[in-house]
Parts: sequence; C-alpha cells; structure tokens
Amino acid sequence: MSKITKAGGDDTGFDKPLYVPIKRRSFFMYAGATAGATALLLSGCDDDEVFADPKPPTTPTPPTTPGSTLVNVGSGDVGVLNYAYSLEQLEAAFYTQVRTGTYYTGLNASSAERQILDDLYYHEVIHREFFKAAITSAAPTGIIKNLTPNFSTINFNDRASVLGAAKAFEDLGVSAYNGAGRLISTTGNGPLYLLLAGKIVSVEARHAAVIRDLLQEGNFVGSDILTSDALEISKTPAVVAATANTFLAEGSKLDVSGLV
Amino acid sequence: MNILKLLADLAEVDPTLYARLSSRRAVFAPLSQLGRTAALAALPLAVGTAIMPAQARDIRTILDSLNLALTLEYLESEFYARALGLVAGAPGVPTNFFPTGTRLAIETIYRHEQQHVRFLERIIVASGGTPPAKPRFDFTGSKNSTQPAVFADVFTNFDTFLQVAQTLEDAGVRAYKGQAGFLQTDNSLLEAALRIHSVEARHASHIRSMRRARGANVKNWVSASDTSVAVPGKTDAVYAGEELVNQFIAGLRQVPFDQAPLNTVVTVAKVAEAFDEPISATTAAALVGLFTY
Repeated sequence: MSKITKAGGDDTGFDKPLYVPIKRRSFFMYAGATAGATALLLSGCDDDEVFADPKPPTTPTPPTTPGSTLVNVGSGDVGVLNYAYSLEQLEAAFYTQVRTGTYYTGLNASSAERQILDDLYYHEVIHREFFKAAITSAAPTGIIKNLTPNFSTINFNDRASVLGAAKAFEDLGVSAYNGAGRLISTTGNGPLYLLLAGKIVSVEARHAAVIRDLLQEGNFVGSDILTSDALEISKTPAVVAATANTFLAEGSKLDVSGLV
Repeated sequence: MNILKLLADLAEVDPTLYARLSSRRAVFAPLSQLGRTAALAALPLAVGTAIMPAQARDIRTILDSLNLALTLEYLESEFYARALGLVAGAPGVPTNFFPTGTRLAIETIYRHEQQHVRFLERIIVASGGTPPAKPRFDFTGSKNSTQPAVFADVFTNFDTFLQVAQTLEDAGVRAYKGQAGFLQTDNSLLEAALRIHSVEARHASHIRSMRRARGANVKNWVSASDTSVAVPGKTDAVYAGEELVNQFIAGLRQVPFDQAPLNTVVTVAKVAEAFDEPISATTAAALVGLFTY
C-alpha cells in the first residue's frame, strides 16, 4: 500500500492528496490507457462517494411513474441495475413456477434435464438477490418493487411450452446485458457494475445454450441470435422491456425510458 | 489518498482484484463490526496483499485488449480447424475422429471463431493498428516437441480434444470478461466484445454438454462438482478463482448470500456457479503460450 501512495517519490508527504494521482494520471495518458486515466480523474473525490450511487439522476426518479401503472427503473447506474434486477426477477419467478408444473415434477430426479432446471432456478434466484443487495446498497430508496409476473401464456405442464419460454427468457437476458454494457458509467462504481454484469451474462448464455440444445440438439447458437460476424445480438432496454412486459402483470410492467 | 477510491481504480486495472480480496474475508470483518474509520484503517493490509506485484500490474490500452482477443480467436479457430482437417501441413487427424453426430457442432463453433478472427482483424486495422501475427501452434503443449506433451492425444482421442476445447472456451469467456473494463470508454468496442463473450459462453456450454453425453461429470456452467480438466501447473489458472463464493458490491460490501431468503434455497456451490469470474490478460497470455512456440 505505502508503495502506491508514495509512488510520486519526492517527499511531498501525504498532505497533498492530489499530487500522486496527477502523476499517475499523466503516466496513464502517456501510455494511452484511457480507461485507467478516466477513473483516476476522480481520485480526489470524497470517500463517501463510493458508498452512494456514483451517477445519481439529476432529477430524482421515483421508482414508480406517477399517474401510470408502469414501474420506472430510473436512470444512471441504478437504473441499469434495476433493469437487470427486473429481468432476474422475471427469470427467478419463472423457474420457481416451473418447479410446480407436471413437466418438471414428472422428470426423474437424477435426470440431467431436471438438474439443469434446478440449477437455473438457483442461479436466477441468486442473481435476483444479488441485484437486490447491490441496489439497496447503492440507492436504498431507488430500488424497484417486487414485480408480479403474468405467465398465463405458458403451460407449465408442457415440456415444449416451458423450454420454449425458458429459451425466450435466457436469450432475452443475454441480449439485454449485451446491450446494457454501454449504459453503465465509466466512473465511480460503473466499472465494478460492468464487471459484475459480465460475470452474470456469461452464465445466462450458458443457460441459453443448454436450453436451446434441449429443444433442438445443436442449436446452442442459432442463426436467429447472431449477426454476420458471429456476434450475438444485443437489444436496447426499450426492445427488451416490450418483450418482458408481455410476461409482467398490470402494475408491474416496466418503463425503461430513463435508460439512455 | 482515498483508499476506497483507490480500490475501485485498482479493480479497474486489475479486474481480478475483488476476487482475490474475497479470500481475505476475515480481514474485512471489521467493516461490519467496527466503525468505518477502524475499517478503513484495516483495509490497506488486505489490499496490500491482494494487489498484483507492481511489475505485473495490467496497464492496458484498447489495442492491447483487441490484440489479446484476436490471439485467443486465432488459438480457438486453429484448434478446431486442425481437428476438422482443414490445416494444410498440420498432423493428420484419424478418420472417424469425430464420433457420430459430433462433427457438425464443431464445424459450427469453428465457423464462429473464424468469423471472430476476421471481425477483430478488421476492427484492429480500422482502428489504425496492425493485427498481431498468427502464432505457430502446437496443441499437444510440447512446443514443437521441445518439451513433454501435455495433451499428447489431443487430435487422436476425442475426449482429450473435448477437454482442451472446454479449457479454451472457458478461458475465452474469462479473458473477454477481464478485458471488458479496458474497452468501457469505447461503447461500440465494448458492445462488440460483450457480444463475442456471450457466444464463447454458449460454445463452452455446448462443449460441456458434449462431454456430459460421453459420460463426463460436468455441468454447463463452471461448478465445484465438475470433475476437473485442469492440468496442474499448466492449465489450472483457467479455473483458479472460479470457486469464488462471495461477490462484492459498491463500497466493497459483500453480498449476504448466507442470509434469508437465500440461505433456504442456495448452497455455496450454487453461488459460485451463478457467477463466471474474469482472468487477467497475463493469465490468458500464459494459456496461449502453452499452445504456441
């Protein structure tokens, strides 16, 4: 630790906190490490800042839009976290209900298919609770409510219906995370949130691949989710919300207009 | 100097910092038990042992990240191309190397990796860079027979081939994840990298399914219950740190995975499965080094 704080090296002491960061910043700029340099610009900020939303909305956005039944996820990094939280809520609720249907209960407990569905349930509940904790920590009053799903179009007793919906949710989740990276701030806790989202999206992609293989062996990366360079599609929050809202009850549908 | 801000900065230049800090859980106990001043005083001890040695610190440019990505894609595409018998002059692969019903998926994955190579070459050139030369590969790990092979039967034993494939795909996922932070200031490059990252994760998942279909004890996600494919001292870095059971959020707060409602539905292993961890460029480059000469 002391090696870092003393890196400036010419005995100016610790009473000039900006001295060292400026030296480091100029080094990074010289080296061309833009990301590192951007972060270091804030090195002199008060430490309270890392406990709070790093990029608070200029006008505080209430979790629910007044006069409408939509759930407003808000803006800034907390908005992105709420957006991810809403999708994880949807997925967790889905797999929770899957475990009550006769398709799932009829599977042999030791079958790979049942173990996969169990793992997906656990992972999505963990992701949901993870975001709940992250948002509660960053912006206790900014967290969206518990959403009420509407899975009336899904037949939980039917394999094709359940796996078809699972595929839709997992593919949607991956495309949503892929499109949300750019919405996360490059300062404050933004880089941390980007990394955390990255830790989750690849697990969602692993889910999506195995669900697709269960439906149609070899379809783990269908042409429907790829562009010409074999890059997976990304979707904007507006497009994702339009789909997600078909699985959310009135009063729980999302307003993601603050995510730009 | 602001210690918490410094941590955030260090985490940016070293994406594995938080992961390594988690093993210092005991040191962080004061965060919840004492006042913040006391907690801050305790932090440097934890950080001082968790950060990389100065000479290994990862100060990367966007071009470095793209070059690393391209090198990984060269590695993967060449690996599959050789298995498919598409590389002139490379050691031949036995007829019937691919068991019935397996070749098509490998062809699909190969095609994706090849497209990733061309895409990355294109954007490196478009960014004013020069793509790195394609390395010379030896997927047995013998460095052109100058040292003992690690995977001597990689192209004669389909199970070995799949183990190496899983290693490369899982490593690719981790490597892209580790580079995301360095691309964050360029939205289009960040998004492109994320969109490759999720394709690599799908490949990894399918390769794992292929192995499971052949009797291997392996899940589609990295799990503590998987029978390890890591070769100690050679490829174990590909999985090191994936067992992480804690995640840290703003202010280095630990997510309370051991509290309600999670304590009724999760086990520690499920938390580790639910998050893929990054690897540094150094670790990724070392893996590439195992298969190149």
